[in-house]
Amino acid sequence: MKKTRLLSLSVCAALAGTLALTACSSGGGATDDGEKKLTFMFRGGPDEKTAYETAIKKFTADTGVKVDMIVTDADQYATKLQAAVAGNKVPDVFYIEQANLQSYVSSGVLADITEEVEASGVDLDNMWEYGVDSYRFDGELQGTPDGALYGLPKDVGPFAFGYNKTMLEANGIPLPDPDKPYTLDEFVQVTKQLTKDTDGDGALDQWGTGLNVQWNLQSLVWSNGGDWVNEDRTEVTVDTPEFAEALQWFADLTNVHGVTPSASEAATLDTYQRWMAGEIAFFPVGPWDVSVYNELDFDYDLIPWPAGETGESATWIGSLGIGVSNTTKLPEDAVKLVTYLSADAAAQQTLVDAGIQVPNLVDMAEEWAAAPDAEPANRKEFLDIVQDYGRAMPAAYTYGAQWYDELWTNIQPVIDGKQTAADYLAETQPKMQSLLDESNATAEQAAAGR
Amino acid sequence: MTQTASISAPADKSRPAGPGPELTPEQRAKQANRRLHKSEHRWALAFVAPPVVGFLLFTVYPVVFAAYASLTSWNGLGPMTFVGLDNYTRLLSDEYFRTSLWNTFFYMIGIPIGLVLAMLLALALNRKIPGRTALRTIYYVPVISSLAAIAIVWQFAYNGDFGLVNQVLSWFGVQGPDWLANTATVKPALILMAIWKGLGYSMLLYLAAIQSVPSSLLEAAALDGANAFQRFRSITLPMVRPVTFFLIVTNIIAGSQIFTEINIMTPTGGPEFSSASIVWYIVRQAFRYQQMGYATAMSIVLGILVFVITVVQFRLNRRNSFSIE
Repeated sequence: MKKTRLLSLSVCAALAGTLALTACSSGGGATDDGEKKLTFMFRGGPDEKTAYETAIKKFTADTGVKVDMIVTDADQYATKLQAAVAGNKVPDVFYIEQANLQSYVSSGVLADITEEVEASGVDLDNMWEYGVDSYRFDGELQGTPDGALYGLPKDVGPFAFGYNKTMLEANGIPLPDPDKPYTLDEFVQVTKQLTKDTDGDGALDQWGTGLNVQWNLQSLVWSNGGDWVNEDRTEVTVDTPEFAEALQWFADLTNVHGVTPSASEAATLDTYQRWMAGEIAFFPVGPWDVSVYNELDFDYDLIPWPAGETGESATWIGSLGIGVSNTTKLPEDAVKLVTYLSADAAAQQTLVDAGIQVPNLVDMAEEWAAAPDAEPANRKEFLDIVQDYGRAMPAAYTYGAQWYDELWTNIQPVIDGKQTAADYLAETQPKMQSLLDESNATAEQAAAGR
Repeated sequence: MTQTASISAPADKSRPAGPGPELTPEQRAKQANRRLHKSEHRWALAFVAPPVVGFLLFTVYPVVFAAYASLTSWNGLGPMTFVGLDNYTRLLSDEYFRTSLWNTFFYMIGIPIGLVLAMLLALALNRKIPGRTALRTIYYVPVISSLAAIAIVWQFAYNGDFGLVNQVLSWFGVQGPDWLANTATVKPALILMAIWKGLGYSMLLYLAAIQSVPSSLLEAAALDGANAFQRFRSITLPMVRPVTFFLIVTNIIAGSQIFTEINIMTPTGGPEFSSASIVWYIVRQAFRYQQMGYATAMSIVLGILVFVITVVQFRLNRRNSFSIE
């Protein structure tokens, strides 16, 4: 009898122990020997991981705070972070996407770090306004300059346009003016001249361009005077003539003008590979591409995006933020890590040297752009985008991106020339509208629940 | 004691059990039996407890939790708001849910094809052909390889311009499509890969089953004048039936959860949502759009569907079951 009780007791104890273990082990904190320890969850490729390891090693040396790094693949990150939140193991410091900021704020996961950042003496005026404002949220609108601060930018990602200088020179095309964008017609003319069969085997092997609708349509729509939503983000405006014209022009590049590789190839990575193989004249360039593109066999440089009706270039700026958990046991050190990664000159230098980003600090970035050995030579274009003509992605500041994704899901027939842009957009606008309504309703509910 | 119990057991059945104050000798014997084995019963309970507790904790609790979560509006982070059957009514009008469900069932076309191929392979490799161990191993390699790695390799193979598949087709003068970017070819392309991946496993099971078919039966049939095909159809095939049944059931359950290869090879759900499976759509709703409540409702529907299909299969199997006496 005694034995039995003992046995069942030990089974219970073992089970309870497992439960207790899982419940207690959330986040970092002071370890037994009084050492401070933060957990930092982020994502990125091997280059990025190495760069961050170097930067963080210095942080530990300076402050004595140890940092446990949890790194994931880009597409695993959202799942893993959400699982960590659900399991009550929110990392002290972690990356946050613009589009997820509001739900993380309203769920009480992200801490308001406005005061701590102010107290830390970081000069926010020396940082990209766009980058900092992306993580401000006033309870109703995100991205406004007066909201509370829920994170600092890990980086800003201006999506620039580039051209294969070697190819243009070889074909006797005058190099484009870095200060004056092509009009759409000029762009078609130039790309037509560059699309040809160079080895005479009867098949095209050089193209003017090769764009991906999901990443390049924004620039055309905006520069044509269109947009995805109205100003207060309540109405989907993709069924306007400006929008339709831009999308049609995009599809016509392939189907009418024939200056890109065939339509189905645009859906794969192939145009990227062809650009790197030197078969494509004009192609987008992000700061994250620079380290790879600098190794290519041809020279390239940056120019403003071809402009539609408005005559003004436009493009998007990506960004990822670094936020602090609301439940961290070391809020001060967590904020210190955030400001260090985002705004410390030495840390920024490490990350910029790795060729993975544009400096977050304005003065440093200007120096970086003006460097005589800059490659690409006109890398100032990146800064112009951040300061001047870049915008946030359409879904960056809404509660979730489902309404936005809807546009891409069935767009292929337009790209293939089987459906007109205007028809497609008229068909899709109501679906996007109802999804946006839903997302706005959720945002309101969430705000009310706070 | 045990003897008494076993002897009294049939007697119990024949007697109508009625409430009576008088204990029959059998009942008294039973009680004594129970007392004697009390300690053993406790031990038995202690041994049974871990799996039962595990089952309650890791299966029943999550299912109940999911059932509740499916009735709420929940982003997976904050508190849940009870919304009744809203998520389920929303499902009915969600065209992407329907499409992904249809895609998922479409993928199952590969199951019978794979089983026929696996059976043929097993028959071939059951013969004494040179190098059969090597061949068996080769066919089994995809099974033990990481699905993610395989998906990436096949993604290269299916590439419209440089892919291996189209290169091979071009030898025969066929201009292959861009497999994964085309609504008409993306599902067949994924099915082909799934068949290739699962072939070795089914083959191995069939091989084992074929080898356990009593050779006396085959010999007897041969003496009676049955030719090879007749022997296969009337003896081997019925004898490996349990394996076929097992493979069909497990394949359908696994097939309804197809996700990894789709997520890797067509990260956006394919052109016009043509490759998205139900689990892919669930993951997207749950983690990209943070509609955890809605995603859970879809999972519940999927779970019920799989359950119903499996029950039907067991019923059918029982009706058709057959044995050689």
